[in-house]
Amino acid sequence: MFKVQFIPMVLATLESLFTEGIRFKELVKHIDDLAYKSLNIIVVCVSFAAAVTIVEASFHMKMILHDDSLVPGFAAMLIVRELAVVVMALLLAAKIGAGIAAEVGQMKISEQVDALRLLGINPFNFLVLPRLLACLLAGVTLSLIANSVCLLTAAAVSVYELDQSVTYFMVAFRRFVVMKDLWFSVIKGMTFCAVIPLVSCYYGFRCEPGAAGVGRATTKSVVSSSIAIIVIDFILTYIFSHFY
Amino acid sequence: MTIITKNLQVLGGSVGFFIEIMSSSAHTFRNREEVFNQTLHVFWQSLLTTGFAGFFVGAIMALQFTLQMEVFSALSYLGGLVTSATVREVGPLLIAFLLSGKIGAFTSAELGTMKVSEQIDAIRCLGADPIEEVIVPRFFGIVLASFFLLTVGLMCSLFGGILMASIFAGIPWEQYIRHVPTIMNGFSLTSGVVKCFSFSLVIATLCTYRGYSVRGGAKEVGEGVVQAATQTMISLVLADWVSSLILEELLNV
Repeated sequence: MFKVQFIPMVLATLESLFTEGIRFKELVKHIDDLAYKSLNIIVVCVSFAAAVTIVEASFHMKMILHDDSLVPGFAAMLIVRELAVVVMALLLAAKIGAGIAAEVGQMKISEQVDALRLLGINPFNFLVLPRLLACLLAGVTLSLIANSVCLLTAAAVSVYELDQSVTYFMVAFRRFVVMKDLWFSVIKGMTFCAVIPLVSCYYGFRCEPGAAGVGRATTKSVVSSSIAIIVIDFILTYIFSHFY
Repeated sequence: MTIITKNLQVLGGSVGFFIEIMSSSAHTFRNREEVFNQTLHVFWQSLLTTGFAGFFVGAIMALQFTLQMEVFSALSYLGGLVTSATVREVGPLLIAFLLSGKIGAFTSAELGTMKVSEQIDAIRCLGADPIEEVIVPRFFGIVLASFFLLTVGLMCSLFGGILMASIFAGIPWEQYIRHVPTIMNGFSLTSGVVKCFSFSLVIATLCTYRGYSVRGGAKEVGEGVVQAATQTMISLVLADWVSSLILEELLNV
């Protein structure tokens, strides 16, 4: 039987990048499947999250400062530094993480992984590496998209809810958010998105036979990748806080 | 177009399923013991995940607010602000996200497996109603357990906030706690609790619905789990927005 450990799997995947190269056909398929098909969900969810953030921030500002003119600045800062990319990553953990675990687990229990090895194809190179690269690309592009959609919705809501102009939002945004914030946000997005396929493929490879096994592998992959995202978010926030 | 019709189908299906559960729940109070067992099962299975997630959410919020407050040298407000923001908004949403991954995935996997291996049909053959016997206890178990879990998660987030404030911002815990009542009030607490309750209803309905409507084999069980996880998350964000708006209208007058 084909047994997989997490660290050796990651190392073997990275090694196969240099020894065997990238399978471009698989890569393109997974970019479509993982990155492009998650786009609409992320846009919808992130824009609602931004709307809620503005409403809640104005509530707090009115309570402390009796004035909500600082809301756009603080909300934009919270969105770029934290909210957009974490909500995006948790959504991706559920959508593509569960999808990958179910797909790889299904291949494992129907012995397609063993068939691949029989044909002399390295399953890490064939299954893990294209998904990892596609997710890294998704991490960069989707975190940029999530940030901009989030900010646009926040601007729209602050125009309609708080009676502020778009120019005011933009000026406040420029005063509070610096370019560094965007870089850190993209780095966070990439890290989160690298974790998801690795964890999900690991649980997929360890899938036990039967429908119950596939269900259990999917559950474990969603839970572990979400927890990993929250913990990594904390560590990265702590590291980045030394750069301000 | 297909996206819209598909989503409307899911919405209609889950509302119909919810009504079905409610209509058959009236005479299942003899099943109290089963509901209790399910609640305990779900609660213990997810307690560690939720506590962990809550702790880190609180810590992250404290870290972010410290960075923002330092600019205005208003660190004395930290305790109140972090607690209020976590309890009202960020805490319930993020903890419910993790919870929906955990509970949602294992419930829909379990129900899907029962459906695929024809255990549900077997129950029907024995003359019992599968919704009454299998779904209703699970539904109420998940509602109760996730409500308790979300409140436990919120408490853990308070500890995370206190710990991070004392380590990172150098604010002693007495000072942190003293400033909580200046910003937190009954409204914030009510809104957090109401959100927790509405999220637990959403999680319970969608997960049982997706699990129960699985057809086919192992592959379909996997797909069902994926759909349950994604649709629960989208519905959670929508429910968050709707409940924010309604609470604002109701309580802020």
